[in-house]
Amino acid sequence: MGCDEVHPRLDAYLDGELAETERRPLRDHLQSCPDCGPEAAALERLREGIRRSAPVYRAPDALRSQIRFALRREAAASAPAALPHASRWLAYAASLLLAVAIGSGGTFVFLGERQTDPVASEILDNHLRSLLGTHLTDVASSDQHTVKPWFAGRTDLSPPAVDLAVEGFPLVGGRLELIAGKPVPALVYKRREHVINLFVLPASRSDRGETLTRHGYNLRHWDEGDLGFWAVTDASPTDLAEFERQFRAATKS
Amino acid sequence: MAWIAERRRQSRFEAVVLPHLDAGYALARWLTRNDADAADVVQEACLRAFRYFDSYRDGDAKSWLLKIVRRTCYDWLEHNRPAEVVPLEVDGDPEGAVHGSPVGTVDADALLQSRSDLRRLDGLIEELPAQLREAIVLRELHELDYRQISDVTGVPIGTVMSRLHRARAALRRAWDGKGVG
Repeated sequence: MGCDEVHPRLDAYLDGELAETERRPLRDHLQSCPDCGPEAAALERLREGIRRSAPVYRAPDALRSQIRFALRREAAASAPAALPHASRWLAYAASLLLAVAIGSGGTFVFLGERQTDPVASEILDNHLRSLLGTHLTDVASSDQHTVKPWFAGRTDLSPPAVDLAVEGFPLVGGRLELIAGKPVPALVYKRREHVINLFVLPASRSDRGETLTRHGYNLRHWDEGDLGFWAVTDASPTDLAEFERQFRAATKS
Repeated sequence: MAWIAERRRQSRFEAVVLPHLDAGYALARWLTRNDADAADVVQEACLRAFRYFDSYRDGDAKSWLLKIVRRTCYDWLEHNRPAEVVPLEVDGDPEGAVHGSPVGTVDADALLQSRSDLRRLDGLIEELPAQLREAIVLRELHELDYRQISDVTGVPIGTVMSRLHRARAALRRAWDGKGVG
């Protein structure tokens, strides 16, 4: 192989793109040719220089969670909303009977799924997912001055993020969740080893002051001003009722 | 229920595509040359990819995502910095490019030489025309082979070869001229 044949193939040779039948004669040529050998070596140095000096760009964590969130919004937007006009409370009660997935082996059981309110289902679904995965909080802090501003600009709803550590319900952080196609704040509290997820939605006027229990998960819903609160936990109903009392006391000023 | 099907689709998308998010971000960062713009472009690209996800066939998810990120980058550049995406004057002719493509190489050289403050190769790469820059980045940093680069950039393998050659020739001239790496 002569220099005029080697020259146009040099890049492909160094990139490992030449067939073996071309590779071997080209390699032989490089070992003996005083022009092409150094030329190949210079290209190799350039490659090393590029790999050494080029910064390694990685997607920032914030971008990663933004994308996850945007995907969820996209997924929710493309799924038709069920039961827009149905009584949310009835639908929600039905959904607890129907759409709770739980406990044993994580099998989801859906019965009569048509009657399930997507809001309540999503709250349970979100709660369960937050327990299963590593994504319990987007912002981990017990400081309301950190948690509350974090939601600004991410959602229209501004949750009263009070720490209730003294009352036995320490605030551990917050995250953004997608309920009925809208980004909403979820505040995360703990009761000993149990997690309490508190979802903040627009008030629904369906505040009944009851605790609903299915398969070990308890859910309470109450309205306060313009906001509707949905607390889900596997802590006891007594603890959950106490949580609601303490939360309302601390946020009513 | 529709939303459950959507959730499943989303989970599958996240499992298949998001492992390549760093690669997608790196390409967007090289093409936009800016962190904030790269983040915007990548997010938009992921949403596009999610919409097209039904058309994805099991295979090379990395190339598939990179292709969409690249397309989104070019759309973004055309809209925001149209001067950066002018077509290369000589393209698609590997032999011509290798053996004398004065216009294209002079352009790349001129860009590189005009920045006397550049001292490092990464800075020199950033100054390459977008089409040459992406060829180098996909080959040297993403370590794609010619067929994958051809797939991602939508040009024939011959053009990939000629672009790589021209990019390297321009970088070498600028780099040797400064004698610093």
